[in-house]
Amino acid sequence: MSLSGKTALVIGAGGLGGPALLTLAAGGVGTLVVVEDDVVETSNLNRQPLFKEADVGQRKAAAAAARLRALFPSVAVDARDLRFDAGNALALVGAADVVVDGSDNFATKFLANDAALRAHRPLVHGGILRTTAQLLTVAPAGIGGCLRCLFEAPPPLGAVPSCAEAGVLGATAGFAGALMGAEALRLLAGERGAYEGRLFTYEARSARGRLVLVRRRPGCAACAGTQPLEASAPVACAAPARSEGAA
Amino acid sequence: MSAGAAARVDVRAYACPMTYVKAKIALDRLAAGERLEVWLVAGEPLENLPRSAAEDGHRVVSVEPLAGEPGAFRVLVEKGAGAAAPELP
Amino acid sequence: MNDDRIERYARQLLVPGFGEEAQARLGRARVRVVGADAVASAGLVFLVQAGVGRLWIEDAEDVSPADASGWLFAPTSVGTPRVDAARAVLAPLSRFVSVERYSTGGVPSATLVFASSVPQALASAESARRAGIPHVVVEPDADGGALVVVPPGAPCYACARSTTGVGRPAQPGIAALSALAAQELVLMIANPGSVPGRRIDLVRGVATARATSRLAGCACGGAASLDEPAGPAPT
Repeated sequence: MSLSGKTALVIGAGGLGGPALLTLAAGGVGTLVVVEDDVVETSNLNRQPLFKEADVGQRKAAAAAARLRALFPSVAVDARDLRFDAGNALALVGAADVVVDGSDNFATKFLANDAALRAHRPLVHGGILRTTAQLLTVAPAGIGGCLRCLFEAPPPLGAVPSCAEAGVLGATAGFAGALMGAEALRLLAGERGAYEGRLFTYEARSARGRLVLVRRRPGCAACAGTQPLEASAPVACAAPARSEGAA
Repeated sequence: MSAGAAARVDVRAYACPMTYVKAKIALDRLAAGERLEVWLVAGEPLENLPRSAAEDGHRVVSVEPLAGEPGAFRVLVEKGAGAAAPELP
Repeated sequence: MNDDRIERYARQLLVPGFGEEAQARLGRARVRVVGADAVASAGLVFLVQAGVGRLWIEDAEDVSPADASGWLFAPTSVGTPRVDAARAVLAPLSRFVSVERYSTGGVPSATLVFASSVPQALASAESARRAGIPHVVVEPDADGGALVVVPPGAPCYACARSTTGVGRPAQPGIAALSALAAQELVLMIANPGSVPGRRIDLVRGVATARATSRLAGCACGGAASLDEPAGPAPT
């Protein structure tokens, strides 16, 4: 099935967003909208596949677009050098056929969840912490629960390791991000997602993969599309939220 | 250096994540039970480093203002026994 | 380790089990990668980013139009030798990594196999096994497939490989398997002894691993023939 008429919104172009973007572009998606407001730093280069040494100091959105366009000239890349927040979330999500959330903080992850459900768009959520990856697909009116069904609210500051403390292996993030891209390709092709209603966690050292059912919580406002969109505070964290039952 | 500190690392000039990375490398070189003195600034480093060290199995012995350096602190970290081996079972 | 390297690898130095020693092992590694097609592309990128000292790429083919679905080959590189096109994109990623064409005289310390045929996969794996070095063999199948992970002394690729025939043509999601293969190799290089022999299957986005076991009578069980070298290669 040709995806040249489809649009994917990818939040973040780093450790998760980068591999997702490359996978989506390779899959022939017509338009990629990249939302990223950061600058390329040296410490990004252990894992973010869109960036090379000469990109350090450049705006990530521009550098990501340049790399993607060079590799995949037939894909339209719309790079938005801004932060995904309550003011633009609905418009961005509404203009896409699928949302891939490669953001690095909880507030944005929850905002993306709420906005996608409100706009009836499928969302692929991913998180990475040290050697563990986790993925969940939130489908509008689909089976299974959303991020808020899994956790009631973003964890308070200090409850989980901050970005600065949480190390990550590049290939682990790459594995997770590529899986996110592959899942988005499935959704765009009209197939059911592999992570719909199922949280997939994978720990790299033990090679332990687990699927945990995520049921819709009765009364979840986000699933009903009525969760108020909160302004995303820049909480620095790439950690997947802890969930009961996950390894 | 603090009494009992086997090594000292000054990370005041660095930003996260380099602050804890440099401390971690210094800790890796110590034997279990040995102590590392870390000089750092208030704000993110002061908030993150003790927590990160504890998560990696080390013990934060003390956190004190650094005499003569306003805004700077001295953290004494004792290397944990369990954190010694780089290889996992 | 100087500040440049510390800054570059800061985020992986923070991973428990990784540190100066582990990063130094990566820096000393000489990784031979057999196959540099679209499937290999993601894995190659992550090996460079992890900081392996030397990356030796072995591929006699030119870039084909099908390779353009990978992470390395722009359409303008079609028709040029894969190794040269790969080097041109990989080298600018990191000044700490040397990316070269594999020469048969070189003795690798680890091998990643993206072979295009079963005989080539078996031959490359056997060569790594005899040298006593960790290796990973990738078996692509549509957007997933399998990895056979062989640390020194573990059941070999021949014991653990798929016998259901060649997989379906690779699809873009295969990048995940490629990244996972790079990760397994990085773990074996950085923390020797930490990864057991295992086979990881990736089917419709879900990875499951199981320990590999030796087939009775396989040479990898130690029934060495006279012409086998003894002992693992120095790291």
